[in-house]
Amino acid sequence: MADLNAVEIRNVSKIFGFGEFAFAAVNDTSVAIRQNEFFTLLGPSGCGKTTLLRLIAGFEFPTSGEILLNGENIAAMPPFKRPVNTVFQSYALFPHMTVAENIGFGLQMLGRPKAEIQARVAEMLKLVRMEELRGRRTSQISGGQQQRVALARALAPQPKVLLLDEPLSALDYKLRKDMQIELKRLQAETGITFIFVTHDQEEALTMSDRVAVMSAGRILQVGSPREIYDAPTDRFVADFIGETNFLKGRVVSTENGIAEVDTGVAGHIAAALPTGFSPDGEVTVVLRPEHAMLCPPDAMGECQMTGTLENVVYFGTDTHYHVVLSDGVTPFTLREQNKPMQAARFAQGDRVGISVEANAARVLRN
Amino acid sequence: MSEAAEVIEAEARRDVRNRWLLSMPALLIILLAAAGPLLIVVVYSFLTPGPYGDVQWQPTLSGWVNVFLERDIFDETLSLADAHVSIFMRSVWLSLVTTVLTLLVGFPTAYFIATRPDNSRELWLFLITIPFWTNLLIRTFAILQIIRNEGLINTIMIKLGLFASPVQMLFTDGAILTGMVYVYLPLMVLPLYASMEKLDFRLLEAGYDLYATPFQVLRRIIVPLVKPGIIAGSILVFIPALGAYVTPSILGGGKNLMLGNLIELQFGQGRNWPLGAALSITLMLIVMVALLFYVRNAKGAGGRHG
Repeated sequence: MADLNAVEIRNVSKIFGFGEFAFAAVNDTSVAIRQNEFFTLLGPSGCGKTTLLRLIAGFEFPTSGEILLNGENIAAMPPFKRPVNTVFQSYALFPHMTVAENIGFGLQMLGRPKAEIQARVAEMLKLVRMEELRGRRTSQISGGQQQRVALARALAPQPKVLLLDEPLSALDYKLRKDMQIELKRLQAETGITFIFVTHDQEEALTMSDRVAVMSAGRILQVGSPREIYDAPTDRFVADFIGETNFLKGRVVSTENGIAEVDTGVAGHIAAALPTGFSPDGEVTVVLRPEHAMLCPPDAMGECQMTGTLENVVYFGTDTHYHVVLSDGVTPFTLREQNKPMQAARFAQGDRVGISVEANAARVLRN
Repeated sequence: MSEAAEVIEAEARRDVRNRWLLSMPALLIILLAAAGPLLIVVVYSFLTPGPYGDVQWQPTLSGWVNVFLERDIFDETLSLADAHVSIFMRSVWLSLVTTVLTLLVGFPTAYFIATRPDNSRELWLFLITIPFWTNLLIRTFAILQIIRNEGLINTIMIKLGLFASPVQMLFTDGAILTGMVYVYLPLMVLPLYASMEKLDFRLLEAGYDLYATPFQVLRRIIVPLVKPGIIAGSILVFIPALGAYVTPSILGGGKNLMLGNLIELQFGQGRNWPLGAALSITLMLIVMVALLFYVRNAKGAGGRHG
């Protein structure tokens, strides 16, 4: 079974409404999620990530396409027959049951013997560190505790895949950080495939083995957090994750996957090409703000580009410089880490030079 | 005691007195309109019946004795009044069946309304309450027109050749039940809807997700969470059904009596007001026992759902 994908989405579309009101929440999407993977669907609200999750859970049925679970097509199977459990955004804990009854519900519905249910519930309570609260009603525990119960309830029946629908969005910052670590631990301990939906790029980058970035019902790029951040192939991905500078230019020459791009105002930049992509003519080059730096004032002549400092924003750990390049229109942002007791080096209106780190620039597919 | 404390206490005393004064009109109306007549009924139940109705001011227990017992006209021995007992049993039985039937019909109805989009729910609720606009008597006669031997159903069925001759539907327990279910259905639907409207439908998805079949979701999640509505609706249907008068007298046709008809009989043709009064109080006691039973149940289950 190890060679089978945990979940495979094949050309799945989900269209809501009819006629002129028809709206494709998921649009001809295919993706394969591996066994024991922490897989994240990342995208802005309304991009179709939750619909895709609901299609896997069985709360919605695809308009077309196949959903395979360990190789078996489950697209038409009702949710109560799918060996998949969900942690809901609102937790959806049963208010008329205790913590322990909530956790045992799935096993009870599966008709497992009482002794097994009790043992499993105890094990789950221990796993999420909630042993003392087993007899409480779900209305008598805090949001973070409800979150743990929802997790334990979904994990108790030992699903093949655990689906998590923005489970951390209702928690405050500190609790969210704790739960991120907790979720990683649970995934490692249980060895269950997690499919995690979030609009929070930081959450996606810190927790996932792989991330799929979605927009308008389509998956734009799938890769490890590092690939997604360092090597975005798509304009939307580059823009959605982190801050990015976009520079338009013409390809002058291509060699070993590196293109020399003439960007005009920013000069010639060597930019890496996405694999299997060899463009000529107009391209867009992306450059992360932390991969550029301000030149010392006495070395302006050797800089990659020059511009006027529009704005300086102090962030504590670093300072953001918003520059308009020398053509007077192209914006460029760069970020420098602050040193201890450093005085502000530049002020608004200063002419500045910008240099760029080697291997930092990339060409986008579109 | 300090001066300030005295002032505060005087203020508090005046406040209490003002509250009593302000609630006086309401208290008076309750006393005159509710407690007063009830007291008259209680007093009458202990008096002797007059020859042409009314009562004679001679205290006796015979009214109460006659509720469940009857004196043999020849040897004056007491025996169980089978007629009364059976009418009591019938009334309780028919009311219970009415309650169950309205629940069976009203539950899906309320669920249907609660799952409509927000803007169309008002319309459905409005449709449910339309029968209330028409007089009960007229609605009951309308049912009579439908189910009588020459009525709508029999005429259509005979025209279609499904019935050879008219089927007797009027003046049966079935007719009474039909009428009562129709009349009391809104009283079941409205409290059920009020409960279901508060139901978090995401909980149903959570149930399906955790391997509960649709029936298990109904039994384990929906029913426990809307239990307050079920209890309220059952009380609202059972109590008036127990004292129903118009429906059984028109659709039951005199021979299928219910408690309401029996009481009416004592004040009318029976000319036995003390017995009528005693029967009324007995009915009230049954209702109170039923209520107590429900309240106890409701305490166990209703309080949880926030």
